[in-house]
Amino acid sequence: MSFFDLKGTLKPLTALKQFGKQPHTLKETPFVPREAADRYRGFHYNDLEECIGCGNCSTICQNQAIDMVPVEGIEGKKGDSGLRPRIDHGRCCWCGLCVEVCPTGSLSLTKDYVYVSDDADSFLWMPGVDNPEGKERKSFVSTEATSLNDFARIPMPELEGMERVKSFAEVVLGYNEEQARAEASRCISCGLCTEACPEHMHIPEYINAIARANDADAVRIIYDNNPLPEMCGKVCTRRCEEVCAIAHRGEPIAIRWLKRYATETVNNADLIKEIVNPEINAPNGFKVGIVGAGPSGLTAAYYLALRGFDCTIYEAHAKAGGMTMYGIPKYRFPEESLDKQIEYIQKIGVKIHFNTRVGKDISFKEIYEKYDAVFVGVGFPKPWTLGVEGEDLQGSIQAVNFLYEINNGKQVDIGDKVIVIGGGNVAIDAARVSRRLGADVTILYRRRVQDMPADWEEIEGAEEEGVHIVPQAIPIQFHGDDKGHVKAVEYLLAEMVPDERGRRPKPVAIEGSNKTIEATAVLGAIGQQGDYSFLEEEFAEKIRIERGRFVVNEFQQTTDPKIFAGGDAANRTADAISAIADGYRAVKGIEAMLVKEK
Amino acid sequence: MKEIKKTVIEKITTHFKEVTAQQHDGNRVDFFIGKEEIPAILFFLKDEMGYNHLSHIACVDWLEEKEFEIVYIVWSYTDKIKIFVHTRVERENPVMDNVDMIWRQANTYEREMKEMYGIEFTGLEAPEEFLLEDWEGPPPMRRDFDTEAYAREKFWERPGREDARDVRETIIERTGEELPDFAKKYKR
Repeated sequence: MSFFDLKGTLKPLTALKQFGKQPHTLKETPFVPREAADRYRGFHYNDLEECIGCGNCSTICQNQAIDMVPVEGIEGKKGDSGLRPRIDHGRCCWCGLCVEVCPTGSLSLTKDYVYVSDDADSFLWMPGVDNPEGKERKSFVSTEATSLNDFARIPMPELEGMERVKSFAEVVLGYNEEQARAEASRCISCGLCTEACPEHMHIPEYINAIARANDADAVRIIYDNNPLPEMCGKVCTRRCEEVCAIAHRGEPIAIRWLKRYATETVNNADLIKEIVNPEINAPNGFKVGIVGAGPSGLTAAYYLALRGFDCTIYEAHAKAGGMTMYGIPKYRFPEESLDKQIEYIQKIGVKIHFNTRVGKDISFKEIYEKYDAVFVGVGFPKPWTLGVEGEDLQGSIQAVNFLYEINNGKQVDIGDKVIVIGGGNVAIDAARVSRRLGADVTILYRRRVQDMPADWEEIEGAEEEGVHIVPQAIPIQFHGDDKGHVKAVEYLLAEMVPDERGRRPKPVAIEGSNKTIEATAVLGAIGQQGDYSFLEEEFAEKIRIERGRFVVNEFQQTTDPKIFAGGDAANRTADAISAIADGYRAVKGIEAMLVKEK
Repeated sequence: MKEIKKTVIEKITTHFKEVTAQQHDGNRVDFFIGKEEIPAILFFLKDEMGYNHLSHIACVDWLEEKEFEIVYIVWSYTDKIKIFVHTRVERENPVMDNVDMIWRQANTYEREMKEMYGIEFTGLEAPEEFLLEDWEGPPPMRRDFDTEAYAREKFWERPGREDARDVRETIIERTGEELPDFAKKYKR
């Protein structure tokens, strides 16, 4: 090549021949970008209805590109934080991890990849809110197969159905260490569950402690606001699991079983005290009397005692625990489990007077006068009756009384054909206990099986054990033999009629559909009510009771400021964890009232 | 195939004393050898045994054992067998022999390993910037590299993001839950 290459210099000038011609690119206006590939990772789209604001996307983002922020029109509620992700697209590297860890699958990436703006700050926007059209453009979506979430629960080892009915041995065997760690590791720690828990237990924290192999810390966190966790670990109604983020597409984290695992690592009361190592305040001189050693009374007593109050519980029965002792069968909740926890509560300094029925062995007035504050946790001891003919025949027994006798170690003659009436946990418990006593058991329930208020696992367990369930059956009469003993139950079939006010469908009996089923015993389990006969007249007047329950404020205080109430007799949810929550709230109320007064 | 694998193992173990062999299903044989012997064994595989294709060089960060593992994968078109040669270098000041005189393309893998794991290769050609532009942080493929912390420090916060909320705190505020201090370390 020569030093001065004329050809090379002039050649580019030939391009000038195009001068003045129409360009033949960019013919289409506006510019339409090429359609992206099927799994293209373009801008995010978020289905705002599906999203529950768990924040897993924000946590996983290694570029700190995702914030959780409130959105107008979306209210937080149980199972939804009310927050939604907002993405700084200047930071996003389109790795797609946020989509792959999204438990509900609401977050996805679209085929849109063109965004032009002079304003750098306009790259901060909310998927789904600012690009509703993205719904039609989804490409990189989360599926159950590709999701990085683990949707399958570690199965709980349990006794086989027909093996169970041979004894009262505990059905659920509990996780071993390896299983518990694996199950705990499925949790994404969003904490939505804590809002559904009446007691707001610190669920993600103790599950995380289990996942990190620190069971002692887990136990300490659990006891922070629940003094009966082993009971809850076995029989809790676990509202938490209903709102679990993972449950949207998989099986919820076994929160109850993990609590059970953690508490079972501590096998005696001394050890609980050593591990929990609670701070016990010096006595503050106040005395609190508590009526009933059920979950609410025990909770109030435990946390009051830790705060320096002198607590005394009056319990009508020989053992503490209330319905959890006498109502729940031992194959679900063995006595040792309960004893261990009661012993621990006593070690903290709570005094319990057993076999002391208030209203009989000691008057309520005496307690009222003796103590600075009174907590009433008397529960619902009195069963509702059906109000049908023949209900007073021999062999017609109330299920709660039946469970009480059995749990008390007594014999109850139920024969070999038992009919249980009802669909709640008491009905299922009575049915499964009867199976263990060797009877054929049929449950009559007025609504459909899916309407049963009992825990689905209990219903399944009953079916596995050979309990027959006859749904949409309304009993109308019990027939007796000449000795006055029940021999059959007559019932009508029902059809489900939708409720015009939007409530659950109502069962309406079908005329003439009468059926009769043979029975040697009938166990009624259609609910319980309060029994407030222990209150003297002056208190019955002072304390307001509406629809069978004490009227209480946010601190469980009744209309007599000195009296607090909790448990079934004060809340509408009627389960142990709600009772514990009531007890815990009352502690704050009593403390605020007495310590402030001082 | 079994025969060939057996011969390969025999040949290598007679020539190199400090080597351990590991059989695998299929067309794969692994050798573990000290890092000083790497050029020798690779030369031998290429020149004496016909393994003249370098498929890949991989690196594994054994953080807990304070070592990096470098794996050379070579292939023979006649034997139709792939051989994995493993060696370990200490994680603190890792230095490894450069093998680009055996395979020219080894340079690309070595530059990548230098950038991603911080391993020095003696006499590496073009050791400066490879894939990472303006990189100032520690080698990012090391397991102790905290991407999130790096991003937090490296990039400025865009204005308008101050209203971000923590999900757990939002729920705690709403329910009045009192999370004790000792439980806080288990928060997400």
